[in-house]
Amino acid sequence: MAAALSSGRDPKKGGNGLLPLAAPLAISLDRLARRYGRELVLTDVSLTVGEGRVVVLHGPNGAGKTTLLKVLATRLRPSRGRGTVFGFDLVRHAHEVRRRTAMLSVFGGSYPALTAAENLSLAARLYGSTSTSDELATCLAVVGLADSRDKLVRTFSSGMKKRLGLARLRLAGARLWLLDEPYAALDEEGKSSVDELLDDARRKRITIVLASHELERVAPFADAVLQVDHGGISLRSD
Amino acid sequence: MSDLTAVLAVAGKDLRQELRSRSVTVATLFFAAITLVVLAFAVGSDQALLRSIAPGALWVALAFAGVISAAQSYAAEGEENAFEQLLLYPVPRAAIYLGKLLANWLYMAALAALMLPVTAVLFDLPISGNLPLLLLTLALGTLGFALIATFYAALTANLRARESLLPVLMFPVVVPILLAAVRATIALTQLENPALAGDWLQLLVGFDLVYLVTCIAVFRFVVDE
Repeated sequence: MAAALSSGRDPKKGGNGLLPLAAPLAISLDRLARRYGRELVLTDVSLTVGEGRVVVLHGPNGAGKTTLLKVLATRLRPSRGRGTVFGFDLVRHAHEVRRRTAMLSVFGGSYPALTAAENLSLAARLYGSTSTSDELATCLAVVGLADSRDKLVRTFSSGMKKRLGLARLRLAGARLWLLDEPYAALDEEGKSSVDELLDDARRKRITIVLASHELERVAPFADAVLQVDHGGISLRSD
Repeated sequence: MSDLTAVLAVAGKDLRQELRSRSVTVATLFFAAITLVVLAFAVGSDQALLRSIAPGALWVALAFAGVISAAQSYAAEGEENAFEQLLLYPVPRAAIYLGKLLANWLYMAALAALMLPVTAVLFDLPISGNLPLLLLTLALGTLGFALIATFYAALTANLRARESLLPVLMFPVVVPILLAAVRATIALTQLENPALAGDWLQLLVGFDLVYLVTCIAVFRFVVDE
């Protein structure tokens, strides 16, 4: 693993501090916590990620990986602490953060009563993309959905819905990708297209935070693997 | 991207889904028509009584059908967690609310336009005399209803008891709209001086504006966690 992040508990901050080696900051979290009701799901997470880095979140189910991604995507507000994405505060400048962020969630996030092309066209309009219909078709072709562009998403398998999510990600033009289990529900061909997507994003210096159980698969792309457990994070040394 | 583009994109998406599935159309048309038929049948052949209850019957049918419509518009968002994705796009929360409102309003206004002649036939209600003002009443009344219904449907979308909670929460708030709409409809169809409807129409405009501003301002607190 190419370690691009130094790590270790920051005694001054009392959290798990991670510092970039030499890159402008994409993410900076300072003692960030998030609770659902009374349950604390993220506890005092302090983290900095340099622009263009690929960080993998690894940990058991319920450890807080998805919650951390949702906080970074501004879908969830931190209960305590603060964080910035490209210098914009996660709470006060949420709209600016969203303009620079795209998230692929475990669930498809598509509309079953619309076709793949209609879903992608909607995403393009909401991302403010100026993509033409040919470019949208190319986007679908890249993820292997060229023949399914006019089919209703209702008829799609889980893997096809995930591919559509990947196509949406490409459209976003975001500088930070938040990927929640991008390999889940995909066949080998689909997983390869995720690999290509990650490789391409890395070349374009898109910052990626990725939650995945497939460590061996993502290791070649990762600058750091963070272990998430009981809402805290630490750098994996293996 | 302008916020208007986002509003139109969200509204267009909702309407396209409904045109394709027709699930809400079938349910609400059937429900509203049955309500009117049952009420007309219950009153019998007393023409004066039929006419007097017609405006109330029309708005009761529209209100109950409107609840179904608003609840369903968020049910479709939940199927694939699409609403989560919708909230991740870089568009203002207000644009999402206005998009869903526009779709709900257009749908309810179309339903009202269809139910008006049905009411006229079943209840012997004269509608041709002040038809433009009557259509304006339907437009303002359904707008007010859609404003509240769209807001409360978002509030209850993630609750287990949303089907029962939605009408319980929204009807107390929407009562002023319904009363003003019923009184304006009565004035335009039954009174010798239809100018009396003007006061009720002004009240409807006032309610619509207050609810519009309030719902836009508060919507982000409803959807942000």
